Amino acid sequence: MILQIRKREESLGWGVLVVYLGALALAFAVCAVLLALYGKPGLGGLLILFRGAFGQSYSLLDSLVKAIPIFLCSLGVALSFRMQIWNIGAEGQFALGAVGATFMALSFPGLPGFALMPLMFLAAMLAGGAWGLIPAVLRLKLGVSEIISSLMLNYIGILVLEFLVFGVWKDPASFGFPMTAEFASGGQIARMGPTLGLALGKLHWGLIACPLAGVAYSVFLSRTRLGFELAACGEGERVARYAQLPYGFLVLLVMGLGGALAGLAGSIETSAILGRLQPTVMAGYGYTAIVVAWLARLKPWPIAFTSFLLAALRVGVEVMELELQVPAAFGQIMEGGILLCVIAGQFFLSYSVSLKRPLPEADAVAKEERA
Amino acid sequence: MSPELIVALLAAAVQAAAPILFATLGEMLSEKAGVLNLGVEGVMAIAAFAAFITCHATGSAVLGLLAGGFAGALLCGLHSLVCQVFLGNQVVSGLALTIFGVGLSNFLGTPYVGQGTNGFHQVALPLLSDIPVLGAIFFRQDSMVYLAYFAPVAVWFFLSRTSLGLGLRATGEMPAAAAAAGLNPQHLRALGVMSGGFLCGLGGAYLSLAHTHLWTTGLSGGRGWVAVALVIFAFWRPGRAVIGAFLFGGVMAFQLRLQASGTNVPSSLLLMLPYALTVIVLVFSAARAKYLKTGRSAAPAALGVNIEPEG
Amino acid sequence: MPERQYRTDISAVDVLPQVRLVDVTKRFGQVLANDGISLSIMPGRIKALLGENGAGKSTLMAMLAGRFPPDGGHIEVEGRRVDFASPREAIAAGIGMVYQHFMLVENMTVAENVLLGQEGGFVLHPAAMRRQVGELAERFGLGIDPGARVGDLSMGERQRVEILKLLYRESRVLIFDEPTAVLTPVEAESLFAALRTMSGQGKAIVFISHKLEEVLSLADEIAILRKGRIEGEFLASDVASPAYLARRMVGRDVVLDIERSAVDQGRQVLDVRHLSGAGLDDVSFGLKRGEILAIVGVAGNGQQQLVEVVCGLSRPESGEVDILGQHWAKFFQNRDWKGALAWIPEDRAGLATCRGLNLTDNLLLTTRQGFAQGQWLERSRARGAATDIVREHNVQPGNIEAQAWQLSGGNLQKFVLGRELYREPRLMVAEQPTQGLDVSATEAVWQRLLEARKTAGVLLVTGDLTEALTLADRVAVMFRGRVMGLFPVTDAAQVERIGSLMAGLKD
Repeated sequence: MILQIRKREESLGWGVLVVYLGALALAFAVCAVLLALYGKPGLGGLLILFRGAFGQSYSLLDSLVKAIPIFLCSLGVALSFRMQIWNIGAEGQFALGAVGATFMALSFPGLPGFALMPLMFLAAMLAGGAWGLIPAVLRLKLGVSEIISSLMLNYIGILVLEFLVFGVWKDPASFGFPMTAEFASGGQIARMGPTLGLALGKLHWGLIACPLAGVAYSVFLSRTRLGFELAACGEGERVARYAQLPYGFLVLLVMGLGGALAGLAGSIETSAILGRLQPTVMAGYGYTAIVVAWLARLKPWPIAFTSFLLAALRVGVEVMELELQVPAAFGQIMEGGILLCVIAGQFFLSYSVSLKRPLPEADAVAKEERA
Repeated sequence: MSPELIVALLAAAVQAAAPILFATLGEMLSEKAGVLNLGVEGVMAIAAFAAFITCHATGSAVLGLLAGGFAGALLCGLHSLVCQVFLGNQVVSGLALTIFGVGLSNFLGTPYVGQGTNGFHQVALPLLSDIPVLGAIFFRQDSMVYLAYFAPVAVWFFLSRTSLGLGLRATGEMPAAAAAAGLNPQHLRALGVMSGGFLCGLGGAYLSLAHTHLWTTGLSGGRGWVAVALVIFAFWRPGRAVIGAFLFGGVMAFQLRLQASGTNVPSSLLLMLPYALTVIVLVFSAARAKYLKTGRSAAPAALGVNIEPEG
Repeated sequence: MPERQYRTDISAVDVLPQVRLVDVTKRFGQVLANDGISLSIMPGRIKALLGENGAGKSTLMAMLAGRFPPDGGHIEVEGRRVDFASPREAIAAGIGMVYQHFMLVENMTVAENVLLGQEGGFVLHPAAMRRQVGELAERFGLGIDPGARVGDLSMGERQRVEILKLLYRESRVLIFDEPTAVLTPVEAESLFAALRTMSGQGKAIVFISHKLEEVLSLADEIAILRKGRIEGEFLASDVASPAYLARRMVGRDVVLDIERSAVDQGRQVLDVRHLSGAGLDDVSFGLKRGEILAIVGVAGNGQQQLVEVVCGLSRPESGEVDILGQHWAKFFQNRDWKGALAWIPEDRAGLATCRGLNLTDNLLLTTRQGFAQGQWLERSRARGAATDIVREHNVQPGNIEAQAWQLSGGNLQKFVLGRELYREPRLMVAEQPTQGLDVSATEAVWQRLLEARKTAGVLLVTGDLTEALTLADRVAVMFRGRVMGLFPVTDAAQVERIGSLMAGLKD
């Protein structure tokens, strides 16, 4: 019996759903086992997770709130992944975005909201974009691996944030806790609930950025010339040379835009959730964004859906922390485990596997005699 | 700075270099076979915990070391499975492994935070440790550092002077040629990845058994990524990896000393040093490769490219 | 010329075949690559396997090499059935292959490549290895430096390394896939001499080729493969002429009598004057609308560099290049997508197209300026154009949503040609346009290229002399970056000397 592996000619259609669900089920099973090993109820723990994530309306709202930064960062990551440029730096770009926005908020506290907000966002996007351009330039000019350089810039970016918050930007009234002064009301994104007269929990107006960014991403890739050239460049630099695609420009564009999007996410989080800059604004959204981008195969609607799911996962893990005293690191295990299982599962989308039996001796001899 | 301080600093540099060297050599083995493994950070984290818990339970540092190595090999076996059998993208699989590994290590280790274990202690080698200056730097270290002295030689010997190593290198350059020669490139790749994983595991084990004798979270501290960068810096040669590891060890030791001495420089800036240095090192290697203009890359030609199934 | 000695003295009945293929069948999806093939490979004889690309030769050889098993039938070695689970088993059974694209590790030395995968202990001794390989090379008259890096060697030298690999393993069957594709005529002759020596020592030799003259000059036995089946098998001594072989190969007189009508020549489209640098040495020639100029020569003698300059990828270091009346720099500054330059590269899957994109997107690859209003891409209009091209050029399958990797070589090439013709070029550069294509695709491509003469000048870079002599008005022979000769196809005396010119001999 031998295993025969063939590349698929047609797409699987509904089979895609089966593959993804199967991979998820495997990942959850492994996590349940790990919980059990730790001394907590395996299946029971997962049930608490699901209940916590999807059970109440406020947990759904919570997931939506967490999904906003993940979605924005993920769009940026997906842009560069399309070109096979591995932008791992969303986390650092997020941090720089938060820094940029804080700079504006602290420098112009007197400005009204409609003037201060755009300034903050602009500064955030410029800062994040610049942080993203560094690995891009290094790659273009010197061939330095963008994976490692963007990753190192993550660590450095977070340290820059901490340096500022522990240093020059520390709020004298904070009793030594690392945080800046609270932003003026013009610098804080308002919650949606009060304005609309609905109970919407922590959901804030930063949400609007998502459909805007999503539509822009979608239109860019499917309708514009640059979007097409980007997809073509994903095949490699040789084709880019042949077809005279602006490879260098596109590398800068995707890393710059990706950084800007992550920076925007950083500014929204800082302004809407914390109202001031603290190291706790860093919640690993940049890394989750990478998981989302890959799971969603770089497409806009799946990115939205997956961002929500992974945000819900975080909410669920928080509930598990509270009710079962499960360490927060469990969320990372889940994300990493899901990604590994899905990568393995995606194999079945491109290849079909079947068992083959070599012809038994008798059949072979009979065939010869006929011939 | 007084001569005693410099000697102490250099000795600390050697100590700090040891885990990085193991990790770098491990990643090098994997890459020489053609598989990019970005999961080193996660591997080191898991191995650190495995080593800690084994030593904690059995009291034997050597058993802990072996446990760390095998945990590393096992986790890298997972990477091998995903990339070689399921043809997963090597970059993303490695990232997933890092997220998973670091998470798992912190998760399993939570009840043990702050607890100590036996681990390795300094052993001054007779005679050698009496040599002025050099003796103090190189020969008053713990046993794992002495192991680290042999590691580059062993890896070099394996790669250049054994037929298995030859096959492994061929797989990293051109798997089709290895297959045509009657070798099994997938097996060779798996060998490279998992034996590399064992070495990375040793590096991780060092962190919980010798570097500190405690368990805390975030023990690997980015060293796994430094290792990946150092493989590039070393132009995929074991000898140069020693230089790179020593360089990083020096910077880390220097940074610690400076922090401990109560300097005015904010700690955030000091902590940036190793990461900034990694970028500088990469820039330097790339510039060097460019200006040497040999027209050949030092990287194995088939690095990062999965072997597709045939027929 | 001395008369050929045909080896008809060994009677096939008395001697056991070294390898026997019994009713071997292999399928790839819908394609039946090999259909019930039965063949005997005898020791001490040279068998040629003749067939067009796509006839199933490579599949057959891959199964002999143990890369994958047949779907039906089996293989016998020295009378016993074998089922190779891996190339290692095939090698152990004495079967050795020299592929068309060498399976050598460029970054390793000759000795390391020869000894790769060989038994000989766990520990290696480089000096001993070099000595061993050096001795082997001397014994068989294959001059080579065992310590040299394979990446630095010429094609002929690399082939010698491949042969050394087989000799080291004491292979009893040596199979060569298109061995002279990368050799000069002189190197080919010395290869033939070596093959005759090895066959005289009892080795069974099989070589795959589509070059009729070569086959007749070297082989003892000839088997013709057509559409996956053995079309005929006979002794070389029984063959009357190349035309007979050609007919058996394709089932009709294919020595391809293409309609070459005369076309008026127009203005100068390409003017190269004293082009030098980066592998080129004082190259000068001109090309007018209405003519086809073929650049022939063994691969690696400057053709690639020439194409890269003409197509704008590299700057001419010294000398002048005028394209469509404009200086090189000026022309490539404002690149019109229409009515200018079109390039059909050799690598149709990896360079000319994006394998993961569908046909519409692949059309847009070089025509996107024509479908864009500023930044907006008119995808629907592009789809219409793609459908037209697919229909007009008979690209199978006729679905524009298909991705490039799903098309066969011939269909992909037809599409690329259709795309580039859509751009109404006035200068066309075509590199090895029919490499790897079957006869019908080759004919289709040739017809289009000839038609293109009406509106363009065509620079045809090819290693296939038949193609060059059939299509071109003039031929230029390149060797080490220099043009050794430039003459019209009608000049029979010069045409005779093409082989020598390709090898750099100017007498």
